[in-house]
Amino acid sequence: MRRAPSTVVVQRGVFTIVISLVVVLVAFPIARLAQTVWAETDGDLSWILGSAGLVTAVRNTLLLAAVVTVVAVPSGALLALALRRADVPGRGFFRVAVLLPILVPDFVLAYSWTQAYGPAGFTDSMTGLGWDGVRGPVGVAVVVAVNAVPLAYLVTAVGLASRAEPDLERAARVSGAGAWTALRTVTVPLLRPALAAAGVLVFVLTLGTFAIPQVMGAPAGFTTVTTRIYANLSLGGDSASFVEAVTLALLLVVLAGSVVVPADALLGPRLRVRRQAVAEGSVTASAGRAPGRWIAAGLGCYLLATVGLPLLALVAAAVTRAVGLPPAPSNWTTDNFREVMTARTFEALTRSLWLAVTAASLLTLLGACVAVLERRRSGRPLSSMVTLTLVLPGSTLAVALLISYGRWLANTLAIILLAYLAKLWAFAHRPVSGALDRLPPDEVQAARASGASALTAVRTVALRPLLPALMAAWFICFLTALHEVTMSSLLYGPGSETLAVVVLNSQELGGIGPTAALSVLLTLLLAVPAALFWVLLRVVRVPETDPSPEVVPHVA
Amino acid sequence: MSPDPALVMRNLSVEYDGRAALRSVDLTVSQGEVLALLGPSGAGKSTALHVVAGFHAPATGEIYINGELVASPSYLEVPNRRDVAVVFQNYALWPHMSALDTVAYPVRRRGLSRSSAQAEAMEILDRLNIAHLAHRRPSELSGGEQQRVGLARALARRASLYLFDEPTAHLDSHLRVVFLEEMVSRLRASGAAALYSTHDAEEALGLADRVALLHDGRVVQVGTPQQVYDEPADAWVARLTGPASVISSPAGPGHVLVRPDWAYLGGPLEGRLLKVWFRGPHSDHLVESRFGTLLLREPGPPAHRAGQRVSWGLRRSWPVGGGEDQAETEDQISSSFAGPE
Amino acid sequence: MTAQSAPPAYIARMSAQLSSLSGASSHRIRPKHPALAWIGLAAIGALPLAACGGDGGQSEGAASDTITVYTCVSDETIQPIISDFRDKNPGTEVDLFRAPTGELNARVAADKRSGGLRADVIWACDPLTMQAYVDQGLVGGWVPDDASGIPADYRTDDYVGAHILYMVAVSHDGSKAPKSWDDLTDPGEKVAVPDPSFAASALGALGYFADSPDYGVQFYDELKHNGAVQVSSPDDVTVGVAQGVYDAGITIATSAYKAQQDGSPVQVAWPEPGAIAIYGPVALVKNSADEKAAKNFVGYVVSKEGQTTVAESGAYPTMEGIDGPTVPEGAPVVLPDWKSIGQQKDRLLSEYQSIFGG
Repeated sequence: MRRAPSTVVVQRGVFTIVISLVVVLVAFPIARLAQTVWAETDGDLSWILGSAGLVTAVRNTLLLAAVVTVVAVPSGALLALALRRADVPGRGFFRVAVLLPILVPDFVLAYSWTQAYGPAGFTDSMTGLGWDGVRGPVGVAVVVAVNAVPLAYLVTAVGLASRAEPDLERAARVSGAGAWTALRTVTVPLLRPALAAAGVLVFVLTLGTFAIPQVMGAPAGFTTVTTRIYANLSLGGDSASFVEAVTLALLLVVLAGSVVVPADALLGPRLRVRRQAVAEGSVTASAGRAPGRWIAAGLGCYLLATVGLPLLALVAAAVTRAVGLPPAPSNWTTDNFREVMTARTFEALTRSLWLAVTAASLLTLLGACVAVLERRRSGRPLSSMVTLTLVLPGSTLAVALLISYGRWLANTLAIILLAYLAKLWAFAHRPVSGALDRLPPDEVQAARASGASALTAVRTVALRPLLPALMAAWFICFLTALHEVTMSSLLYGPGSETLAVVVLNSQELGGIGPTAALSVLLTLLLAVPAALFWVLLRVVRVPETDPSPEVVPHVA
Repeated sequence: MSPDPALVMRNLSVEYDGRAALRSVDLTVSQGEVLALLGPSGAGKSTALHVVAGFHAPATGEIYINGELVASPSYLEVPNRRDVAVVFQNYALWPHMSALDTVAYPVRRRGLSRSSAQAEAMEILDRLNIAHLAHRRPSELSGGEQQRVGLARALARRASLYLFDEPTAHLDSHLRVVFLEEMVSRLRASGAAALYSTHDAEEALGLADRVALLHDGRVVQVGTPQQVYDEPADAWVARLTGPASVISSPAGPGHVLVRPDWAYLGGPLEGRLLKVWFRGPHSDHLVESRFGTLLLREPGPPAHRAGQRVSWGLRRSWPVGGGEDQAETEDQISSSFAGPE
Repeated sequence: MTAQSAPPAYIARMSAQLSSLSGASSHRIRPKHPALAWIGLAAIGALPLAACGGDGGQSEGAASDTITVYTCVSDETIQPIISDFRDKNPGTEVDLFRAPTGELNARVAADKRSGGLRADVIWACDPLTMQAYVDQGLVGGWVPDDASGIPADYRTDDYVGAHILYMVAVSHDGSKAPKSWDDLTDPGEKVAVPDPSFAASALGALGYFADSPDYGVQFYDELKHNGAVQVSSPDDVTVGVAQGVYDAGITIATSAYKAQQDGSPVQVAWPEPGAIAIYGPVALVKNSADEKAAKNFVGYVVSKEGQTTVAESGAYPTMEGIDGPTVPEGAPVVLPDWKSIGQQKDRLLSEYQSIFGG
């Protein structure tokens, strides 16, 4: 008779697998980069770290990350607070729509902002209101922030749901606190760990962001560490430039590590306070004085300004025959779309879809594993570890993986998959980690005590409440993987061209019409799964509990 | 003290997610009065408290606190400007605050300085005999201690109307007694009025001046504890307020309601004993007769065994409307008997 | 290039999965065992990748007639070259890796540090990059015997120029077309300059002006004084000028002519003393696994046929006497000194950045 492996054996097995993956995906590639630098400089980094431009770039990078964090986290939290109110018309729509910026590849977002608000852009030609500064540090900060708000929103929304029960705020209101005082004294303190987690994620993401500063910052001479890395890779091709690029990337890892490791060590245990699971309630009209429809109107304006107009400008560019012509019907053409849609595009699309589905599924599983394991003392460093690769610019991460595994995996889809897993692990892990707080351990134990195996217990009891977070993680990873450009354009080989590679290769980047057409197609391609996600979410949403919970075990 | 009633709900309806949670409720709580809202889960008790506190808006009707309009379909006063304090079912203590800070919170909101607020909070904690818990956070408190801190917070609000949302639902039975005694004495001492929601008839009858019975969002009956126990509006109220049997009236047509202590053994009527339970101070007997099956309570240990023929009589009974639908099975009777603890 | 088509079984699985997804949404079927679905999804996902890991990679040793080309040349040019080469050399397959120079450099550097270049031929977009590869001993040591058709300015002993980028002036319709580069410093003209820290073509222009006794780095200083603006790439210059954000700018000829042909309101000028020519060299990788086929390919690219194909694809060929895209009659051309640029790259860039940086 076959004996099922004991729980301890299974747990050790999972732990070992996850640890090995962290080594394979994070530790070893970073170590290989460090070893390369060490071997080729004999440890003398002064010529790289001492250069004048680097100080500026590091200062710019840190400043940008700080500003974006300070702007994006409160904005995300505000969105989360606003969308918790039941009286906001179209709440379901807004909950999905605020995620739109992450559906758009960030180089597209950057480009569309210059087209919407820049000189000779959309607002300029319509109303004469052009914003010169859009190509510059302020523009970069704004767009990076817009891009980061959805992430901050997701993390704080999960935190709100798991920590700030409506009764706690009601207790404050009924103790005499006004809406603002209640927010300040109760809601925000309760959210502090979630806000800090969002801050860490946004900060790290901004440290490593490349496309937006490249498109919008370079014109104003605004350099960041990532644009410097790209400049080093682009010019010369000599060993010194390469080593400098790798050193800068490692510098980013050190910068990120010095923020993430202490933050996780401090916040980790606090974030994981086990609380009684109480259903997500909705705060009603009385919570604040602004009627829900005002909030809805505000949200609408925000979306229009951050995503709507830029995408509209993009569509205009996509259907216009040539740059510089007014987007009038006489200048409309479908050439740009035809140029982008070829047989090869379709083949690559299938491949990309497949790759994105696989990456997202594995990532969700891996993210959930880390979320569970980090609750054990021995697993705590895991969450910091998997965040480190998020900061590596795609080009450097791809190089790290090639140096580590290129001998065996070069030109395969497998190495692209490894790159996606390494880059997006933190994206999959953090939302699930937040949601796990909502799961009372008793429930799983009760299932085990009722005779369920570990797997059955998780499947029958834990999965259902975790499903929204798991699906959110899955879709973030899926969408990001689907439009990933940098890593796949460096790692692909015969038969492993991804969608972005094929389309970007088919013309030199900068041909605005086709690029815009590609962006529109990509956005549509992503909007359809997003809509699907919305529908699915509505289907599997954890049923909202009785509005007036009255826990009564026996009634006479 | 205001000459107006502490609370008036007039024709109050509340909808929740398109579902009616309260339907045309009219209730008045006089100054200094304790009104218990008694009803099963989902009857709308919490909704009623939430709409009074200002957490929800009414769909129709008005709410007046001390004669002042606080809610109507066109006007909504925010919770912090209503003269109410709430004790929550799940305590709703802030995890990031110590007991002292929690109790000082409403005092601070009255505009007092931090130090005088803490002094007042300490005084209240002391009065409730939990001063030694002042610097603990909720995670370091037991359920009973948490609820006492919750009560202290409500008292610190110095409201003229207190709302209790099943405050004892999560407490062990022995803690419950202690908490209830403490709460009632504090409440009486403050002279404030209270709206107290519970599903426990014994609790409601024991502490309230009047009891309102809530069924599916409607008020079915309002009266003193004695009234709702002795003269229930219907069989549903009767069963909710305590053990009861419904039998055909031995004195004429129709059905009557009989509480176990209204019947006795050794009367003029014939019957057969189905079951006997020894309950310590008294014994319960399930008697089958041609009028139906009823539950009967006698002091002391049982004198008969199941299966014996017995005679019985009624000290009093209460006519109830309806007919066959109220005839009961043995199971229903025993369960209704076993009900409130 | 060989585009390995996906096996049919995998497409079938994929579409089955897609339809089940959409089915679930439209009929609102709740998966009975969501956990199994997740695990299944992940497991199915892992299958084809595992398969890929096995047979992936280029044909090492086995098929001796497959070569790999690394390039930054656009698809518009490299695809016709490859298919024409294949027609003329049946039995030789060409695998392609195409990426912008930055990614190409990263790939080459990574290859070098993990078992050597996985390419047989490299076709770069500027001599600076190629010379760096030569200096690292990665490529070179051989050029085709019949490369003499290519002007000596465009070749060395290690590599041969296969196409040219011309840096020209582009101006918005209605603005004055510059006759000389100097005209860009005229007051009142808003000029766009491509950032030389990313594009070698822009660096070539910087190098030329810096070396030229008539201009020097102060040319950029004067541009800046007149309100010139830096943009990230030559293509961005074209776009900005077409949109009227800038009056004129320095850009690549192909980019400017393409915009003009599409109907953008721009004009192209080849100012005195000349358009700056940046040639894209092709070279043989050292220790190529299939040296014969690789040499064939390099030879083809710089042959008359190859150069004709380059010209037909819309790029400028290096070989004289082959009709390429528009070059105005008697348009002057100048060449940057790449050796000097290679040596003073850092100094040039830091001088430039002291003018245009931050």
